[in-house]
Amino acid sequence: MSASYILKRIALVFYTLFVVSVLVFGITQILPADAAVMMLGENATTEALDALRNQMGLNDPIWQQYLHWAGGVLQGDFGQSLRTGQPVGPALFSALGTSLTLAVFSLCFMLVIAVPIGVIAAVRRGKAADLVVGLISYIGVSLPEFVTATLAVALIADWWGILPPAGYIPLSEDFWGGLQRLVLPVLVVSVMMIAHVSRMVRSELVDVLHSDYIRAARLKGLRPRRVLLRHGLRNALLPTITIVALDVGYLLGGVIVVEEIFSIPGIGRALMTAIQARDLPVIQAGVMIMAATYSIVNFAADLMYAWLDKRIQYD
Amino acid sequence: MTVNRRAFLSSTAAALALLAASPKFALAQTTPERGGTLRVALDQAISVIHPLLTRVNPEYLATELLYSNLTRLTTKMEVEPDLATAWQSNDELTVWTFTLREGLKFHDGAPCTSEDVVATFEAILNPDVASSARNNVGPIEKIEAVDPVTLRFTLTEPYADLPAALAFNSARIIPASVARGDLNSLRSTANGTGPFKLVSYEPDRLMVVERNPDFYDPARPYLDRIELHVFPDLGAQTSSLLSGDIDLVATIGPNHYMRLDGQQGVNVLRAASGQFCNVNFGTDLPPFNDVRLRKALALTVDREAMVDFMTEGFGTKGNDTPINESYPFFAPVTQRERDIEAAKALLAEAGYPNGIEVELIASDRPALRSQLAVALKDMAKEAGITINVVTMPHATYLDQVWTKGSFYVGFYNMQPTPDAIFKLLFTSDAAWNETRWNNPKFDDLVKRARATTAVDERTKLYTEAQALMTEEVPSIIPAFFDVLGAKRDWVDGYEIHPRGSVYRLDFAWLTAASPTRKG
Repeated sequence: MSASYILKRIALVFYTLFVVSVLVFGITQILPADAAVMMLGENATTEALDALRNQMGLNDPIWQQYLHWAGGVLQGDFGQSLRTGQPVGPALFSALGTSLTLAVFSLCFMLVIAVPIGVIAAVRRGKAADLVVGLISYIGVSLPEFVTATLAVALIADWWGILPPAGYIPLSEDFWGGLQRLVLPVLVVSVMMIAHVSRMVRSELVDVLHSDYIRAARLKGLRPRRVLLRHGLRNALLPTITIVALDVGYLLGGVIVVEEIFSIPGIGRALMTAIQARDLPVIQAGVMIMAATYSIVNFAADLMYAWLDKRIQYD
Repeated sequence: MTVNRRAFLSSTAAALALLAASPKFALAQTTPERGGTLRVALDQAISVIHPLLTRVNPEYLATELLYSNLTRLTTKMEVEPDLATAWQSNDELTVWTFTLREGLKFHDGAPCTSEDVVATFEAILNPDVASSARNNVGPIEKIEAVDPVTLRFTLTEPYADLPAALAFNSARIIPASVARGDLNSLRSTANGTGPFKLVSYEPDRLMVVERNPDFYDPARPYLDRIELHVFPDLGAQTSSLLSGDIDLVATIGPNHYMRLDGQQGVNVLRAASGQFCNVNFGTDLPPFNDVRLRKALALTVDREAMVDFMTEGFGTKGNDTPINESYPFFAPVTQRERDIEAAKALLAEAGYPNGIEVELIASDRPALRSQLAVALKDMAKEAGITINVVTMPHATYLDQVWTKGSFYVGFYNMQPTPDAIFKLLFTSDAAWNETRWNNPKFDDLVKRARATTAVDERTKLYTEAQALMTEEVPSIIPAFFDVLGAKRDWVDGYEIHPRGSVYRLDFAWLTAASPTRKG
């Protein structure tokens, strides 16, 4: 992996973010809502609205507004929320932190479950264990989150009463209380990821286990466990990294339903609330933050891929 | 004459003050207990805690904890003292004098005097502040501080309801230094005279307040701490109440009410209210500038079915006027019943013998709006009126349709008085005259009613105003909704308020059966 590749890749990240910024700014301009009215409310006088429009630069040409906004973003100033009147940046980064907490716990839990059951299914291909894992993953992929979430709440919280049904407490505020409230959402978010990651691990491992170098390793007399873990799994996990990186994107933006049901103030929910309220600065900043996070995770995944598999040479 | 009324007003205030001091008078005869943390679930974010700019119920609740008004409304919709202990007016009802409590303090320890109240109302009345209270606090021309505890309001016209109007949800008293200084600071901080002090505030998740030891009533509040939790999913709200994780759900819909009713440890709460969903006509634009067409449509409505369909039976029939028996001075006018033949005849008279096709716009929040639209579509079909229902996001609706459209669905909380709801929506100069109905006779009736304190006279005038509305139908009001909520049985002293946007949590306490929570 050359330095020029890394530089090119970083340039690509910035280029992507630039395109996203133009798109999101353009799209939010055509949303049917007057930012000044959203901020001051329906009771505002025409004079007050005009004064605010001037102050916010809403009467300037769009390209000027874009430059002003982008300039602010580059300096870390995402503007003010039209809904709450508070700075957008701190609120959204806090929401991102919440989503990342959910994401990290879900990823760890998913990997702990998905990799072993994928391995078991591969090793015991065609046997009962493989069929059970296959069935579970089919169900997991097919069930939408609002169904699994409702089931989880009904069973675990309502019926057995062993966990609180909803709400979020930052771990820094109350670690055990916060952890308890993370269990259900983590379970729900993990179901779908476990389903497809375990299938990925299984099919990759089945391929790898039939390859020549595994046969060679076996013939060399290495112990089966060592062959499986050291030579098989390591290679089978490579494509899984890409899948996991894609899942991070899903975890940040796609778990809105889970955030809604469990009242988790994550970035998905922040963005949805902003869209409902036509809170343009929050929509713009939210999309940018998510796009940046997604690009960075994918960039990291590519680097890790290359680092793990020395045969891969980018230029 | 004035002596009597003055004496009456002052003594009412004093009697109510006594009642306020013993809040359990009207409830079960148990003694309030001190301490504990009450967890309340809200179905919407608390986007704004700026007390002059609040617009929705969760925000009203948040600022009610932190601030006080001059007056407040009991659950019987009567005016009782808050910061002001007594009030009186001149004969003409144009000059009102209010007396404040002695020794009031803001949360930061600074005294609260009549000067703060003056500055607050100057801010409220300043158009640039865009306070939602500006149109609701009455026709105030001038407000002066006579001495540190005496205030004088001079009005532009007689107004009997001023004490009730001052209880408006976004007319909370703030310090003069803020009112005349950085008003924007109220978006993230709070310094009021309310029963609780702000501890933390995250608009989309949680607001925490703690007991204000300097509250003017040394007995209240009983709770040490209140947490307002935002639960956008109504199912999660209900589950959390059932599991005991939440103590009180401020507002629920009929479905969740029925789920909770009869569950062990849970009390459902219900109050008949003047809250309604309506169908507005742009009375200045064709085709609805023709009263016959409006009336024809009103005649197609099966109000009994509307109550069942929209409120699951948790409501009362409407009669195309915004006041019902939950309001003072209400007297019923003849109930409009469904009459398809009469509707068809009116339609033909209006020039539509073969029916008419119209577009009805409903925003997506609350869902009741589209429910009403769909039900109306079905009911009107029989008379030959084809309604195409268009739903849209609430923000788009506010921007493009509200007060501008010619046929759309509205939704309103109960207001403190008939005058307040008429002046908010239906007089020619109404702040939110969404039907653009300009009827001088109606305006005159409302104006005359606000210029007298005689109950009989006011009832008579409001009855005439109602009859006029039923005749002219600027808006179809098919049903009123009860206000519904629920609590754990360890919460005591809490009564659901018919106004919908008033909570009075300083009267609530937790009994010994409540779970211990760290504060």
